[in-house]
Amino acid sequence: MSGPASRPAAGVVASRLRDFAVRLVNLFRRERLERELDAELEGYLALDVEERVRRGMTPREARRTALVHLGGMEMVKELCRDVHRFRAADLGRDVRGGVRSLVRRPAFTAVAVLSLAVGIGANTAIFSLVNAVILRDTPVERPEEVVNVYLHQASFAHGPLSYPSFEDVRDGTSDVFSHVAAAQLVPAQLDRAGGGVEMVLAEAVTGDYLPMLGVEAALGRTLLPSDDVSRGGHPVAMLDYQYWQSAFGGDPGAVGREMRIAGRAYTVVGVGPPDFTGTMRGLAPAFYAPSMMAEELLGARLFDARGGQVLFVKARLRPGVALPQAEAAVGAVAAQLTRDRIENWDPTGQFAVLPLTDVLLFPPIDVFIRPAAGLLMAVVALVLLLACTNLASFLLARALDRRKEVAVRLALGASRGSLVRRLLTETTLLSLLAGAAGTGLAVWLLHLLATADLPLPIPVALDLRLERNVLAFTLGVSVVAGTLLGLVPALQSTRPDVSGALRSESSGGGQPGQLRWRNVLVIAQLTISLVLLIGAGLFLRSFQQVQSVDPGFGREPSAILTFLTPATRFTPDEARVYTRRLLDRFRELPGVDAVGAISRLHLDPLTQSTSDFNVAGVEPPTDHGAFHADQAQVDLGFFEAAGIEIVRGRNFSDADRPDTQPVAIISEAMARRFWEDGDAVGRLVRPRGDESSPWLVVGVASDAKVRTLGEAPRNMIYLPYSQRLTRSLTVVARTSMDPQHTALALLTAGREVDPDLWVLASKTMDRHLAVMRLPQQLSAFVLSAFGVLALTLAAVGLYGVVSYAVSQRTREVGIRMALGADGARVVRMLVAGGLRLVVIGGALGLALAFAAARLLGGLLFEVDTLDPLTFVGVPLVLAAAALLAAWLPARRASRVHPVTALRTD
Amino acid sequence: MSRTDLMRGTLDLLILRALITGPNHGLGIARRVEQMTQGAFRVNPGSLFPALHRLAQKGWLTAEWGRSETNRKAKFYELTPAGRRHAEAETRNWRRVSLAIELALRDVEEA
Repeated sequence: MSGPASRPAAGVVASRLRDFAVRLVNLFRRERLERELDAELEGYLALDVEERVRRGMTPREARRTALVHLGGMEMVKELCRDVHRFRAADLGRDVRGGVRSLVRRPAFTAVAVLSLAVGIGANTAIFSLVNAVILRDTPVERPEEVVNVYLHQASFAHGPLSYPSFEDVRDGTSDVFSHVAAAQLVPAQLDRAGGGVEMVLAEAVTGDYLPMLGVEAALGRTLLPSDDVSRGGHPVAMLDYQYWQSAFGGDPGAVGREMRIAGRAYTVVGVGPPDFTGTMRGLAPAFYAPSMMAEELLGARLFDARGGQVLFVKARLRPGVALPQAEAAVGAVAAQLTRDRIENWDPTGQFAVLPLTDVLLFPPIDVFIRPAAGLLMAVVALVLLLACTNLASFLLARALDRRKEVAVRLALGASRGSLVRRLLTETTLLSLLAGAAGTGLAVWLLHLLATADLPLPIPVALDLRLERNVLAFTLGVSVVAGTLLGLVPALQSTRPDVSGALRSESSGGGQPGQLRWRNVLVIAQLTISLVLLIGAGLFLRSFQQVQSVDPGFGREPSAILTFLTPATRFTPDEARVYTRRLLDRFRELPGVDAVGAISRLHLDPLTQSTSDFNVAGVEPPTDHGAFHADQAQVDLGFFEAAGIEIVRGRNFSDADRPDTQPVAIISEAMARRFWEDGDAVGRLVRPRGDESSPWLVVGVASDAKVRTLGEAPRNMIYLPYSQRLTRSLTVVARTSMDPQHTALALLTAGREVDPDLWVLASKTMDRHLAVMRLPQQLSAFVLSAFGVLALTLAAVGLYGVVSYAVSQRTREVGIRMALGADGARVVRMLVAGGLRLVVIGGALGLALAFAAARLLGGLLFEVDTLDPLTFVGVPLVLAAAALLAAWLPARRASRVHPVTALRTD
Repeated sequence: MSRTDLMRGTLDLLILRALITGPNHGLGIARRVEQMTQGAFRVNPGSLFPALHRLAQKGWLTAEWGRSETNRKAKFYELTPAGRRHAEAETRNWRRVSLAIELALRDVEEA
């Protein structure tokens, strides 16, 4: 039959959907519709009356007859309302029908919901993370006027400023900036209410810092310029909102109370607003204190140290001042410092101005965050795409199954629009279920992420709550995905002409068009999973490389304790005695084989310490006038405890005292760089600025990695702690016991010696080294997880396609086998069909992966972006999995007895 | 196809065709239909307005407030491109059906 009503055009379906949507919207604008209707009918009546009058009636008569003709205003309105009305009963029926149909096929429902839920869950979790790190706005007043000011040096771009440099910038730029303010991150020791101490992160801020950013106190007041006048004279603090919630239970009485911080009583003057979490995203401080208290809080001399790099400086541009003017102004300050040959001012130093909105955390870190976030987003988007194609593939198969049912309904007079609506309802239900399951999954993933015990160099406090806009994003994605994916199969399954579908065609070739569409989906899945797997492979190789790097120290199990001897509490002599007492106590601990101490342990990503030096007979570099070396102070025991060998000369000894010849031990690489045969013992190294008292090299130590695992051996200078005091010391204790246990033992023993011991860190050497491996480890883990997930989804998709092809060809297989074909031959034939898809998907995937690998280059560690092992091995894994997925259903078909096969149907 | 469907479909088609020459308000459309069918169809408001609203809701017409030739406020309806296509398709369908019925009736009369 091809009558006018049997095959409505696509336009008719679209108009029915539109009708449905408008009715839905009408639910929310009933009053407006009613007013419009009144006005329209009034207008009609007026025109009708006018016309009747023109034809000769009296106005009165005209109005009466027009009203009669209208046939009752209320009735017409009611008929129109019927058109607008949303028929809830219809939706209810559709939903009930949808639920029934999903429940009837639990396996299908489970697979479809699960694959979509995984995609949605991963997407939501990653989106929440990216939101927390990148997207969420910094709550700053008129952020477009605020800039960050950094110190740019040859050795380190975008560093923080010292206090004297900050003051120079502040005083020399008042024509371009209305305010220049700064904050310093300060680890602070806080007395707990119940006894004991806790280490928290705090910020020491200049007086106008909070007012400049427009931060307003939620309770009490913020810190003001009057709180930051004289050194050490303002023991006041403003609590962070979250810290106030967790430590004070949100008690308003906290304001006005006293807290003991670093051994002094501070008065709480207020609580910050909930949305302001400090200068650096992810590093929420517990409280803010005036910058004039920074020396006391840290137990170190800061205010006059030109070489220190501690202050994060922000400034607000005066109205109408553009960035280039600001750059010129800070440039003039730097030039003046260089001209005046200010002591400890690096003549290569420049000040750089970056708009606040261009900086996420800190430029040197942003360089890694942006590509990592982009990579993560790309990966989860691919996984969602994969889940969607899987769902589409399932729905297509379902649509084929249901063609007969749909044909019957159409024949019985159901309108095509209502059928499409019904199918769409079912798919939307599926998406919403998946959206809900995915949201649950995302919450769980975020919880895992928030509580994961990652070896991060600093305690990161990211606000990883699931936000409303993230949830909306997820639900939007799932509903749109469901509607789109449902629409194609729905349109296809309701298209066949009734008589054709009613004729048995289960033995026929099916709808070639639909099988082809399914093939396209499977190819897409294979392509995506190959790209992800190759990415995972590259990162796994990268992680393997990182792990195989010998850091040159800390190979044996050891524990680490970092502590401080504050200048405000100990004179230099007292500090030496105190340190010796502690180290002696540590040596007595059971299982501890060697104990040593260093000012700054290698491979600490947060701090660096360098020296500029020259060597007699070697021409200094022209740009800078001196060579660079990393530098650390160590005690006698350090080299043995850390497993660094003295390859020439001697170790430091008790004879190296403050009043004897200054001595040094240098790294092998440095020795070889400056002296023939590396014979450095007995030579002099002249520190810049103090050329008159050179260091005598007494020994050469084996090379160790200092800043990164990937570096070439660096110049390293070790100085004896006995000759150069340092306030912060990291103890390394080599142990024959569980290092975790030893780490705790160090802490306990230290507290026995001094209950007020100022501890900065306590961990194992493994954990210390893990920090550097973390990026590779995390990337390898995340990409592998997603890669395996993708492979599984693709395999399931391929399995489905081959199964379907097999079921379509059961009779053909029966005939072939009856005619004498053996099982193996049949399997080969069926598998070949599936493998064609694998080859196409594989080729596309490889091409894409080649392109994508190049983008990963910067994130990989000593692995070629075209690593042959990955690019050969991973496709083989994919091929094996795909072969299995195709072979399983094919083998099943070949086992069917020919007679049974012929009898199907 | 039920009888009401047939009637409804006929009215819809007549309304769409009445608008092919340009936008018009409710009374104008009713007059135009009467004129096109030489008075055979008299469209009363009770079927005209629900039909107009239904067609607008399906996206085949758009409605906008305007002024009649006598400067009275009235709602004007205009065909959308989709509506125009639909009108053309329905016209073809109708021609086929009416031809078929015509043939059938002729058969009966000749028998």
